[in-house]
Amino acid sequence: MSLVARQSLLARRVLLVVVAATAVVLTAACAPPGADNSNSGQNNAGPIKIALVDAQSGQLSSLGAWELKGAKLVVDEWNAKGGINGRKIQMDVFDDQGDPTVGTNLARKIAAEGYIAMLGTAESAVTIAMADILKDAKIPNITSGQSTGLVAKKSPFLFLNGPTSTTYDETLAKYIVETKGLKNIAMVTNNGSFGKGEHDAFLKALTARNVTPLADQVVTTDQKDFSAALTTIRGKNPQVIFLGAEEVQSGLIVKQARDLGITATFAGAAPQGTPVFFDTAGKANVENTIVSSPYLSNDINDASRKFAAAYLAAFKEEAELHGAKAYDGAQILFTALKTSNAATGQALADAIRATKYKGLLGDFAYDETGVGIFATQIGVIKDGKLIAAS
Amino acid sequence: MKLRLSLLAVVGIALWFLPYGLGPYAIHVVDIAIIFALLAVGLGLAMGVAGQINLAQVAFFGVSAYAVAILTARAGFGFWTAAVLAMVATLATGMVVGIPALRMQSHYLGIVTLGLALAFTNWVTNAELSGGAEGLGGIPVPPMFGIDLFSEYLYYYLELIVFAIALGFGMFVVRTRIGRRMRAMRDDALAAGAVGVEIPRLRMLAFAIASVYGGLAGVLYAGLIRYVAPETFSLANMFLLLAMVIIGGRQSLLGCVVGAVGLTLVREALVEFATYAQLAFGAVVVLMVVFAPTGLAGIPARVRRRFSRGQSALARAQLQPFAPSDVGDSRPESLAEPPPDLVASDLVASDLVASDLVASDLVASDLVAQRTSVARTGAEQAEAAARMILEVAKVTMRFRGLTALDGVSLAVREGEIRGIVGPNGSGKTTLFNIVSGLYRATAGKVAFDGEVVSRKRPYELSLLGVARTFQNLRLFATMTVRENVLVALDRSRTAWAWRYPLWPVGVWRGDAWLRAEADRLLAAYGLSEFADVLPSALPYGIQRRVEIARAMAGRPRLLLLDEPAAGLNADEVEQLATIVRAIRASGVTVVVIEHNMGLVMSLCEQITVLASGRVIAEGTPAQVVADTAVIEAYLGDARMLEAMT
Amino acid sequence: MQLFFQTVVGGLSLGAIYALVALGFSLVYRTMGLVNFAHAGVVMVGAHVATTFYLFAKLPFAIAMAVAIGVTAAIGLVIERVLRPLENKDFDLMLIGTIGFGTVLEALAILRWGATGTAVPSPVRTAPLDLFGVRVRTYDLVVLGVAALATVLLVWFLHSTKRGAAMQAVAMDHEAATAVGIHVGRSNAIAFAIGAGLAALAGGLVGPLLYVSPAMGGSLGIKGFAGAIMGGFGSIPGAILGGLAIGVLDSFAAGHFQGYSELVTFLVFTVIIMVRPTGVFGERTVSRA
Repeated sequence: MSLVARQSLLARRVLLVVVAATAVVLTAACAPPGADNSNSGQNNAGPIKIALVDAQSGQLSSLGAWELKGAKLVVDEWNAKGGINGRKIQMDVFDDQGDPTVGTNLARKIAAEGYIAMLGTAESAVTIAMADILKDAKIPNITSGQSTGLVAKKSPFLFLNGPTSTTYDETLAKYIVETKGLKNIAMVTNNGSFGKGEHDAFLKALTARNVTPLADQVVTTDQKDFSAALTTIRGKNPQVIFLGAEEVQSGLIVKQARDLGITATFAGAAPQGTPVFFDTAGKANVENTIVSSPYLSNDINDASRKFAAAYLAAFKEEAELHGAKAYDGAQILFTALKTSNAATGQALADAIRATKYKGLLGDFAYDETGVGIFATQIGVIKDGKLIAAS
Repeated sequence: MKLRLSLLAVVGIALWFLPYGLGPYAIHVVDIAIIFALLAVGLGLAMGVAGQINLAQVAFFGVSAYAVAILTARAGFGFWTAAVLAMVATLATGMVVGIPALRMQSHYLGIVTLGLALAFTNWVTNAELSGGAEGLGGIPVPPMFGIDLFSEYLYYYLELIVFAIALGFGMFVVRTRIGRRMRAMRDDALAAGAVGVEIPRLRMLAFAIASVYGGLAGVLYAGLIRYVAPETFSLANMFLLLAMVIIGGRQSLLGCVVGAVGLTLVREALVEFATYAQLAFGAVVVLMVVFAPTGLAGIPARVRRRFSRGQSALARAQLQPFAPSDVGDSRPESLAEPPPDLVASDLVASDLVASDLVASDLVASDLVAQRTSVARTGAEQAEAAARMILEVAKVTMRFRGLTALDGVSLAVREGEIRGIVGPNGSGKTTLFNIVSGLYRATAGKVAFDGEVVSRKRPYELSLLGVARTFQNLRLFATMTVRENVLVALDRSRTAWAWRYPLWPVGVWRGDAWLRAEADRLLAAYGLSEFADVLPSALPYGIQRRVEIARAMAGRPRLLLLDEPAAGLNADEVEQLATIVRAIRASGVTVVVIEHNMGLVMSLCEQITVLASGRVIAEGTPAQVVADTAVIEAYLGDARMLEAMT
Repeated sequence: MQLFFQTVVGGLSLGAIYALVALGFSLVYRTMGLVNFAHAGVVMVGAHVATTFYLFAKLPFAIAMAVAIGVTAAIGLVIERVLRPLENKDFDLMLIGTIGFGTVLEALAILRWGATGTAVPSPVRTAPLDLFGVRVRTYDLVVLGVAALATVLLVWFLHSTKRGAAMQAVAMDHEAATAVGIHVGRSNAIAFAIGAGLAALAGGLVGPLLYVSPAMGGSLGIKGFAGAIMGGFGSIPGAILGGLAIGVLDSFAAGHFQGYSELVTFLVFTVIIMVRPTGVFGERTVSRA
């Protein structure tokens, strides 16, 4: 073939490739994929799909396990009575691994697969990460988180099944400073989302009462040795030490503090009311710890006793605050579903907001911020049991 | 070639229309898989191709993603501006992480990169700027000329295009000179240094490249998920990435892609059984490492090898006779195209316009002709004969109490063939190691052509014109004979690599020239039929010749041969002698360590005898052989001498 | 001043644990040239086994530890046997293989013992000592004592027994060792088993100090590894020194920088390693030529 012929053949080939490629590209531009993939999988018959998202693995997995148990109790209870308007409730469990970005992936998954509501997570950071996506998909979410960051989200689809950190710590600070008159307070918190929220809320409550903490030590979430922080605190000789960390870590802090000869009283919120905390710290070490919690024990009234009995029968372990919160949250959700006749989206969110529920934690009445309960009580640990403070 | 192109076209079209068949969550998973594939390719380039343990890859990912998040959500920059700045930040981090690579390697590097990755996670979890443990949300959707990238379907196309370019670039790097150098460094860093590879800078470059891929992945991630939190960049994900690269095949970029996509999909499928999945991944990694170290990507090659025994071209390949006239004759004017790569350090990039490159290369090649003097006229040679090309002055080498060399001095004239003999353990190889820069002498000096080179690294000596072979044959095991030679032929400095992102055509052309040169050299040494064979498949004698060809590819002025006749039969020894004489005739000084006294006697003009780390005799072969000290220490008694002469 | 000493004391007891972990790393590296990333997983398994026998089978602490050491030594033998084809051939691949094993061990631990973990009460019930205002837990002294004893035994083994000498010989030149009749594979297996046993010792001892969970291996492993490297990888006194140093460094960093302690610790570590890449006592291992 002559050079000219060869060159023109090559040119033709190149032109062919370019045209083909342009055609391919334009197809995608004119008829983009996914255009008609709206919220499929939703139907008005069949089971009502609820997603439960929590950390089922990792250090915070106990929180996830408690939430699952509390919610499951409610699902079984309602399904035994015929479900909601004849439709069974189907609760599927998702593991967010305590990772906010895994949470965002799960939020997309839930939205794509036709779940109409979500329960969880127990970690505020993950819940905050998921909030925007759930808001876009109009999926209401009742969370066990308590961080004020949740409220700051201002999502009409986000609800809390307990008080915020502000409430917990306001009540606690009030008791310690005003009722007990103790002003020498040290703080140990971790830098996770819960710990940071607790730190900020408690500090604010103290400042409002003109009290400055003697020490403000911050530890990392997976720290296991606290001798440095505790030695500093010991040097300041506080009367009370505030704990802003999850169950296991605060238990370790207490244990090591006692080993170092610190005799101060400990104080804290939700985690300090759990058996995991007592066991990790050692029963003797937690004596007299002050706890701010809306659910002090399983023995408060008939409702709580009934709940505790059912919990024990189903899961062979003692019920506690987190299970109770999850129980309340699920009850509220299903009540709202029933009254709205299995509505979805905005209608369901409105129904939840309108639900007035007498729960284990107290009387729920949601305001526009998504918080439904605004008070906790003070308890003291005596002999391994949390009893109401006198 | 046609088959490959059509296959590529089919794959391309399939990938282009893939989103049409996927649901909304499935496309999300695919988008994530592509990002991990990008990370895996970067890790593969650093670990698989360059052999650098890089446990900071996930930190590069994190730096980029967080930089985009902070710049957009906190500082209000636009997405693409933030993306560019993030890439710069990641590259800077890559260079910083590469600094330890200049001083240490393998597990030390592993722990330091790991430590830096942990330090990053720690900082990010604590700092207010990065949102602490909660992370940062509110990253805007990247704007793209009216296309709404909020849709994960359309985002897929963005990722696909970026990925295709990145993968193409990666494969381009692997197949050209920088990639070859990295593979050489991975296979045998010592030998690579000896043929002129600037090991420390190349290591740094490997990290820089890995960080660029990490940076791209981070930008795409930030635009897709629009939320960053510390856990994503944790050690657990680093090990997952490692598993992807190992299972897929770390030495092949396509393998890394397969590993990444495969593992992402498997992980998604097994999301309900996360712990079992983790167990399975760990177990598969262990099995892969023991039974299939080249990963999934290496399986086709192994299958092919299994089923094609006895039919390979290798069985029919013959060693061609050595063609002495072509050896060392790489005068620039004899070539079809001027070499654009020699003395690159003389070319200042900013002074050049692309079209000037070819013209100015000619100037450079003239300089080369002056510096690396190749064949000379008789008059020049006579003048050179008086010059000492190698001077070793009172060199002592002590290894923790053992004195290997004790005050050794010798001088080699230019153009000489010098023999170094002595009993085992007398310090001969140690001497070579010192001269070629592998060891630093405890005391004494080494001068090459008048310049003191005692503290120079092996690659610096190689670039000055010192080449060597090794006692235990150090060929690059995973590279073909041609590639072994190509690495040595390439005399450019690492800084030459700026052409890759900015002037890839220059890289391509340079490679074409190198290949032509390599073919010429292989033909001269009679190795043409073995060009595409791996060294391990070659008989010992041929491997030895390959090593000599490789050493000569660097156009040295001094060639150190360490026991080149070991394991060769009489015929091969004869050929070796011919080769060495031809090498000398082309103007290269040769120093030979040998035990084969017949060869030494016939080949060398002068012989230095070492025993117990000291020079015990020096002179012509006849003188040395008659020396009583030599006879006592090495040759045996006088009767053996008679048998030999 | 009291704060300073208290911080040092706190750092030393954890430092003794890191030293034990570092010893395991260094021993395996010295005799096999292998960096064993499964070591952290073995520490964790050892801790769990010891805790299970101590808390649930109610065995005395020392016996529970002995059982744990036996179990992990067996695990060490398994790992060595599986990775034997790679020995002295491809060190980087072996390293990656141990990472795989580490992942497997962690997954197995989660499946067997759950992800949350347990707190372990101290086996020594006596009250802490009070020396000039510095509180020293009795258990800390036990830990230091056991670590010292283990080191002495190890040194005696390496220098005064035939097997120990054989292990050193294999490290210097494995081909020559084979030539004089030493079974290299078996010698490496013993090295691995001892390393694993040291890991179990560390894990079992650390339980009452900290917390036993499947994630515990990570931090201990990395710090132990860093300690081994700082002291000179492969050197026995180096491992002890390095481990203790990292413990004290970590303690001070936690005291001054609180949340940022890990960042500081690793930056300091990087600087030290860059200044002196082979560690304080220098590296000692198999020849890789």
